[in-house]
This record gives sequence, C-alpha cells and structure tokens, in this order.
Amino acid sequence: MEKVTIIGAGNVGTAAAFYLAEKRVADIMLIDVEEGRSRGKALDLMEAAPIRGYDVQVEGSDDFKDMTGSKVVVIAAGIVRKPEMMRQDLLEHNIKIVDDIIEKVKEFAPKSILINLTEPVDTLTYYVIKKWGFDEKRVMGVSGALDSSRLREFIAQELDVSSVDTTAIIIGGHHDYMVIPPRYARVEGIPITELLPPERVEKLIDRTRKAGSEIVDSLKTGSASNAPGAAVADMVEAIVRDSKRIVCTPAFLNGEYGHKDICLGVPVLLSKKGIEKVIELDLTLAEKEAFDKSAAVVKNTIRLLDLETEKKEG
Amino acid sequence: MKKVTIIGSGNVGASSALYISEKRLADVVLIDVVEGLAHGRALDSVEAAPIRRYDTRITGTTDFSAMADSDVIVVTAGKPRTPGMSRDDLLQVNAKIMISVSKEIARYAPNAILVIVSNPLDVMCYTALKVTGFALKRVVGMAGVLDSTRFRYFLADKLGVSVADTCALVLGGHGDSMVPLPRYATVCGVPIPELLPKDTIDKLIERTRKGGAEIVSYLKTGSAFWAPAAAAAEMVECVIRDKMRILPCSAYLRGEYGIEGLFVGIPVKLGKNGVEEIIELALSTEETEALQNSAAGVKAVIEKLEDMQLL
Repeated sequence: MEKVTIIGAGNVGTAAAFYLAEKRVADIMLIDVEEGRSRGKALDLMEAAPIRGYDVQVEGSDDFKDMTGSKVVVIAAGIVRKPEMMRQDLLEHNIKIVDDIIEKVKEFAPKSILINLTEPVDTLTYYVIKKWGFDEKRVMGVSGALDSSRLREFIAQELDVSSVDTTAIIIGGHHDYMVIPPRYARVEGIPITELLPPERVEKLIDRTRKAGSEIVDSLKTGSASNAPGAAVADMVEAIVRDSKRIVCTPAFLNGEYGHKDICLGVPVLLSKKGIEKVIELDLTLAEKEAFDKSAAVVKNTIRLLDLETEKKEG
Repeated sequence: MKKVTIIGSGNVGASSALYISEKRLADVVLIDVVEGLAHGRALDSVEAAPIRRYDTRITGTTDFSAMADSDVIVVTAGKPRTPGMSRDDLLQVNAKIMISVSKEIARYAPNAILVIVSNPLDVMCYTALKVTGFALKRVVGMAGVLDSTRFRYFLADKLGVSVADTCALVLGGHGDSMVPLPRYATVCGVPIPELLPKDTIDKLIERTRKGGAEIVSYLKTGSAFWAPAAAAAEMVECVIRDKMRILPCSAYLRGEYGIEGLFVGIPVKLGKNGVEEIIELALSTEETEALQNSAAGVKAVIEKLEDMQLL
C-alpha cells in the first residue's frame, strides 16, 4: 500500500484524509504542528472504518519525520480567508508556513510529489519550485479541479441533470479572473451553450468565479473544505493509481500558452510521475486574452513574493 | 427495496443481474422459459454475495407472474442466429418472443418501466410499445450507451488517457446505421477533433461500428455480454435512483429530428418516469440525414413485421 501524507489537519486536510480513506487509495499520515489535533482526527477516521469497510491505515502525528516514504505529500496548512479578504491577502502569513513545511519535506520525503492547497495557490506552488528547487513535474496545486467541480454542480442544478454527466475546464489563475471557456463546459459532450441562453451561461460562470467567497460569506468563520478535499483526493488517486487522468492544476509553464516562469492553471495528464504532460488547448483569441489577463494577476502576486524574499535575505 | 425483473437469463441477462446487484440497486428476479436456467444463474450470483457484500436478493424462475410489482423490467430475451437461418427467419422468431413477453408484462407489471435490450433493438422497442400499450416514455432501448462505452474505450486506449475522462454520444441505430458525432465526443470536455487527426477518428468510428462483430470474431461461439450488461445496468440505475442522466438511448420520437412514430437512438434524460425528456441537438443537415436514414431502416423492418401480420 502506498503512503500519502497530508500536512495540516484542519478542515481541508481532514476532508482530504476522509475522501482518500473512502477511496482506499493509500495509507494516510496526517501531520499537524498542533499536538493531538492530527491524532484525534486520524483516530476518529479509523473508528469509522469498521462501518465504512475501508482497511487503509490513517495515522496522526506532530512529527514531520513521519512523512518518510510518502509517494504524495498534500500541503493543506496555513490560514484561510475571512469575509472581504482576497486570496492574495494570505500570502505574507502563509509563505512562512510553507517555508517551514517544505524544509521538512526536503529532508524527509524529497522524492515525493507535492500537491499544494495553501493560498494563494498559484503563487505558492511557483514559490515551492523556485525557492526550494523542486522538480516542476512533481509540484502542483488545487485550483481547476475544485473550480470545475463547482461549475459542474451549478450546471447540473441549472439544467436539472445529473452532475455525473457534466464536464468543465477552468484555467488561468485561481482568483476572480479565472478563465472559464463555456464551449468546454458540457453535459454528456453537449456544450452548455447549446442548452442554455448566453445570459444564463454567464450567470453560472460568474457564480463559479465567486464560489469560494460564497462559502466564506455563508460560513463567516471558515471556508470551503469538502469540495477542496474531494478535488485533492481525486488528484492523489490519479497519481497513486497512475490512471492518466486529465485535471486542471497550477503547473509550471515553459512557454506553453505563451507563458514562462510562472505557475498557472492548465489541463495536465496526471500519472505516477506527477505532471506527465501539460495539455495545450487551442484557445480562441478572446480566451487567450482572458488567460493573459488572468496570468497578469498572478504575476503581480509573484512580484510581492520577490519583495518578501529580498526582505528576508536582507 | 426496489425490484427489477430481467427477462432472459442468457449471458446478457445474468451479467445485468450481477451489475445491478453490485450497485445494490434493487432486488433482482431473473426469468427464463428454459427450466432451471434462471434459477441456477440467480443462485450462483447470490452465493457470491457474502464475498462481494451485497445484500439485495436475486431469485430465478420460469414463472412470469414473479415480475409483479417490478419497478423496472429489462428484456434481454431472444435467440441468436444459427447456421442456415435467414435474417427474416430470425426476425420472425424474436418478434414472436417479444410479443409473448410483452403480453406477460402488460398482465403482471403494468406500471413498470421497460428497458429493451433484445435485437433488432429499435424494432423490438416498437413491438413492446405496441403490445403493452404503455405510455411512450415508459419504453426505452439500450444501444447508444453500449456504442458510446465502446467508442470511449477505444478513444482512451488511443490517447493513453483514463476512460473516466472520456465522453461520447453515439446516435442512430446499432451497427451500420450508427451515427457517431465526433464533435460531441470529448476528453475532459475537449472535443476529439482538437486532439486527433480526422483519419484516426474515422478509424475509431469504424471500429465502434463493428464493435459487436469484433467480439463475435474472437469468441466464435458467442457474443459480447459484459459491456451490454453494464450499459443496461447503467440505465436501470438512472430509473431506480431518478438520476436524470443524459444518455443516448432508443426512444419513441414524435417529430423530433423530423422523425415521426419510430424508435431511434438519440440523447434522452432518464429518470424515475423513464424518458423524462428528449434532447434535441443542433445537428447539421448531414447528421440529420444520417439519423433519418437510420430511422428509415427501422421503418422497413417494422413494415416487414406488419407484412408477416405479427404487428
């Protein structure tokens, strides 16, 4: 049985552990600096196992060396947004947490594949590759997998069809300027543009852009955890089972989509090696412009990152 | 617990029972006129239950009254073609079977949804509809889901991607009159014409068209049953769980796609009432013609049955 470590036993990390256990994908190590939190959550999950019928091991620990031997490490640490906050606002706080974690990953699981959920996700995924010298094929994040799940559910609700038959591709940065080409949003292969008038398509897209905030505004003291947990569990499964699934994730670009030296959401083929291939969609001019605009937002945050690094070095 | 009856306990019927049980959808009754066949198949399946952990019931019988109160009835009954038999002979034999089965259904399970699997599919759907006198939306045929799953597998195999991300809509009749629509066939939402050259797509379509024959050529003494059964079980699940999935199925058309009074494979929304909605795609003239040709073929066979005074 492969081993997967989840760092951060908050709501997202715990949801990810739950979905992975239900999928029987791997043994799970849940690590959190707060003593007892990860052990308690892991034990609770193991105590549900006899009823749910999974026999993978779920363990909790506050010791980073327990990630040793992991095939995949999921980073679900850091603070989340409060109402009125942007994902970028979390950078200053979360970058320190990511630094602490990656230092340990470098020591105990240097060959693992990393999936980052800590926000701002595109910028921090980029940071892990640039600052810590991780192989770019082995670092990804959760953005498009989550955003497209949200859009798919909204489409299913709007059309009163099963969400199972829906597909969607969402690319660009994981922020309000994410790129959602409606022609790739489909129900059993039929583009939603053939099933809904343009103004209703636009409404679905708009709701998707703000879907994270919609949850934050409802919960007031927390943010989404189940859909992000489900999204990361799907990605982990694709890697552990080498199932070559196509998932949208922030990936390091080397000229694909006309961008270099940046992490942006694009469709990739996931395998046991991590990002096996970046898939280049044939974008229309309008889509390309939207993608560039989306990239500019991430670039601005990356600039802040350089400042941060300089400050630290200074 | 819901109840599903499967009429015909050959490989397709027995495998459908297995998939339905694995999905824990309903109690299953297998019926076959051959003494002992349904009973034996059912017992074998239920003896696997402790290992596979399904606790739905599976029973087998020759008694058609056992279908009473079924929510869904799957009809797989029919004879395969034997050497020396003409297509017309086979048609006559299978139409007679469908007529007698339909009479039993109308008598014992007048409220069930019918999923027809027997071939020639679109004609058998029409026969079942006429004989049972059921509401139009309660009779639906399995063809497109099977052709689509084959096409999806070939696509995934060709591209080296997971089958889970593939999607396809194959319309029209089974086999030669199949109408595949590559622009609606996608990998994670990306239409395959963006991923594969036209000649490769044509080859995949051709292989799909002959998908059934390819299996027969390997097996020699039998035909495909796992994929057909998986397709039938998927449709049964939609009805039992009221899933409102959009699947390509054979449904009775009243003017949609310019076709009147015939069963043809088109996308439908499947729910607890059967065909909840017929989805009309914006087809090109060429595609509409292909679909109408497919319908003309169905009509010709129905006329043949009328000439034989079977309908």
